[in-house]
Amino acid sequence: MPDQPLQPFAPPENLLAYLPNGFSAGVAITWVLYTVFAFWAIYTFVAIYHWLKYSHASWLALPAIAAHLFVSFALMSYTLSGKAFFLAPYLPV
Amino acid sequence: MKEFELEPGEHVVKELRKHWFLFLGELLPYTIFAILPFAIPKLIVLAPPLVPYATFFDYQELSERIVLGIWLLATWTMAWGSFTRYFLNAWVLTNRRIATIKQRRFFYREVSSLLLPRVQDVTTNVSGIVQSMLGIGDIKVQSAGAEIVFTMRGIPRPEQMRDIILKYVAEGSAHTHE
Repeated sequence: MPDQPLQPFAPPENLLAYLPNGFSAGVAITWVLYTVFAFWAIYTFVAIYHWLKYSHASWLALPAIAAHLFVSFALMSYTLSGKAFFLAPYLPV
Repeated sequence: MKEFELEPGEHVVKELRKHWFLFLGELLPYTIFAILPFAIPKLIVLAPPLVPYATFFDYQELSERIVLGIWLLATWTMAWGSFTRYFLNAWVLTNRRIATIKQRRFFYREVSSLLLPRVQDVTTNVSGIVQSMLGIGDIKVQSAGAEIVFTMRGIPRPEQMRDIILKYVAEGSAHTHE
């Protein structure tokens, strides 16, 4: 066992500084956002397809889809610009 | 109904889903995920060596806000997907048959029907304190010869549903014997 006291863990000050050469932080963030929004779009499309295809659920389909889109777009807006619209009171700005 | 065509003279008597309380239970993990980014800075204060890291959770930097936004978007989308699957799972009782619609996941849908004249036994089961207080239980519908057993778990007021099923089974038998 080492007799030295444990040193406190020091997190890297800027993780983006570890990116490979020629790969800027802006590009990395852009691609992360593209990927997340692409997954969101596919998932949302599949779920909406199910809501609309099975008509026994139709009375709630449109409100459910609208609620999902409203909340999602508010969160996307918050992610990209800091403006969260109706979610603003609940999110740190 | 797109799942099955209603025959002439057939009508939907009741459509049933899992009890809302059980759905709230399914939402619990997503609620915890949503609260977590806001709870961490408050909890971190309780552990003095970790206090310096609390600045990661004030979400004032662009990168922190992006991480929070993505986290909340993913949590919301998963919770909404859970609601979608909850709503697309249903039991439909018509005056001629019982149909179960099972949406196990997206693109995996199972629809089965049991004609009421073939129903031989309907059993309800309510067990547990919360289930008894809220009237949540299971129904097992068995066909003649026990070839088919339909079970729906966690439905509201199973006794009422059993009585409705038996009423329509009896009506069907009366029409058959006339």
